[in-house]
Amino acid sequence: MSLWIIDKSAMATFVANVMGDYRVVGPKAKGPQFAFDEIEDPAELRLDYNTSILPPKKYFQPQEERLMTFKRNGDSAPEAVIEAEATVIFGVHTCDLHAMRVLDQAFTQNFPDAHYLTRRRQALLIGIECLEPCDEHSFCKSMGTLTISEGYDLHLTDLGDVYAVDVGSEEGLTLLKTYSDARLATESDMQQLNRALSAKWPRFPYKLELDVDELPALMSQSYNNPIWETLAEKCLACGTCNIVCPTCFCFNVYDEVDLNLENGERSRRWDSCMLDVFARVAGGENFREQRSARLRHRFMRKGLYLVERYKHLGCVGCGRCARLCLADISPINVFNELHE
Amino acid sequence: MAENGNGSARPKVAFFDFACCEGCQLTVIDALQTHLELVEAVEIVQFREAMTEKGEDYQIAFIEGSCTRKEDEDRLRKIRAQAGIVVALGACAHIGGVNALANLQPSLQDVRQYVYGDKWDWYNTYPARPISAVIQVDAFIPGCPIDRVEFLSVVKQVLLGKTPAIPDYPVCVECKLKENVCIFDKGGVCLGPITRAGCDAICPTYGDGCEGCRGLIPNPNENAMQDVLLKAGLSVEQLRARMTMFNAYDPAQIEA
Repeated sequence: MSLWIIDKSAMATFVANVMGDYRVVGPKAKGPQFAFDEIEDPAELRLDYNTSILPPKKYFQPQEERLMTFKRNGDSAPEAVIEAEATVIFGVHTCDLHAMRVLDQAFTQNFPDAHYLTRRRQALLIGIECLEPCDEHSFCKSMGTLTISEGYDLHLTDLGDVYAVDVGSEEGLTLLKTYSDARLATESDMQQLNRALSAKWPRFPYKLELDVDELPALMSQSYNNPIWETLAEKCLACGTCNIVCPTCFCFNVYDEVDLNLENGERSRRWDSCMLDVFARVAGGENFREQRSARLRHRFMRKGLYLVERYKHLGCVGCGRCARLCLADISPINVFNELHE
Repeated sequence: MAENGNGSARPKVAFFDFACCEGCQLTVIDALQTHLELVEAVEIVQFREAMTEKGEDYQIAFIEGSCTRKEDEDRLRKIRAQAGIVVALGACAHIGGVNALANLQPSLQDVRQYVYGDKWDWYNTYPARPISAVIQVDAFIPGCPIDRVEFLSVVKQVLLGKTPAIPDYPVCVECKLKENVCIFDKGGVCLGPITRAGCDAICPTYGDGCEGCRGLIPNPNENAMQDVLLKAGLSVEQLRARMTMFNAYDPAQIEA
């Protein structure tokens, strides 16, 4: 829409001003790593973070959330609970912005999810362009998520002393104008931005040994590949890959009552298709009892099933699952091995 | 039977202990203080650690501790005969816990001499076992000690007439949901990938690797876990110690 420039020295004031009217979240240091968290002091915001343990999807689909309250005696109808507040999320990487498009589809198609959509409508996303790979586990360039042209309200690119701010929505423009002293970019700012953007591409390796557009076809031919059995020998089926994935959205629903057995709450919590009981149904049958079947299902979701349903790949190359996998299972290696 | 605020009968509950440290019952006492409605929901008729009265008329029995003596089996069977619902309270009752470490020693007589010195023959013992090796158990509350929130959840499920469900997924799930830095990334080791969750990953959250007190998940990949632990630098001895600290019990130990 339009390109603006904000001094890095003015970012703290921008963030502090926004904090006056919104909950502000962004990447913060967590021990040696980073996690999205509520910003209480603009100095905590680490836009130079490499990656976060969990993706920012937790602000739209929290790890655990109440869905409704009910009375057991049936005297009154259950009441929906939607806990949402106006939020500005700073520092979303482009892989995670791509992932949001998958989640938006998943929570809009067929059964629009009021809980997700209410939070989504009340949030503004401020992206930040990655100019160097975060670490050896990511493969964003291979998955086509190294940059993005939409899906954000504002998008920052680090140009040294200043950030270029690309405006992606009217709400983003209003936020920028209301809370910052950003100025419109000049011709020379735009040239500087173009130089930074073209300089970054060679720094990112293309790790996939096939064109990413061919991935769904490759996956559809890989159902009976022996790789699933081989991987299952070392997979712990701990569910970590699902939990840290920015496009996983499965959840399980629980009812809990208070001790006088009168009032109850229904909640949902993130679930994981790698877990032993994920596919267990009433009557006790488990139709993905084998780890190999669960592994295959997860990779099929990422490379094939989600494309068929939502037109977007389920893997954005963020590398979170590979980074935390104790058995060193990485999607990029799996895809390449299937391609051989 | 006394009545609760609803006008319905409050179930009578009793607590029992066998070979254990009573830490799980302490957690229950703690929960009774933080959740006063628990006192309203049930009528406690026997609880040696908390009260003098000793009623023998109860419907729900919570049993802490392993069975480590032949003569304790009768007492367990009597509890089973009286109680409609028996709940194993904590690691010792649930999986044998640390008591079962003795089962790994070459002889139980050595163990008795090590513990009781020259009075060793005053104290009888046999291989430690979870109470489910002696009597039928209806529900389990894992952990060393138990988690009070899970205890409350199990009580509520029993009061609702449901079979209590405890998590059948690993600690890793709860740990990642809390967005903890992985213990392995801090240079430590952890049994979180194969240990049953429900503790809200309390040990990793406070910086300690999981020691497996809640028992293993269904169908754990123990071989892969051992590979990971060896790769993280554990010696074979350390690996064995970690894997058996709470999970030493094997039904083969009590055969014959």
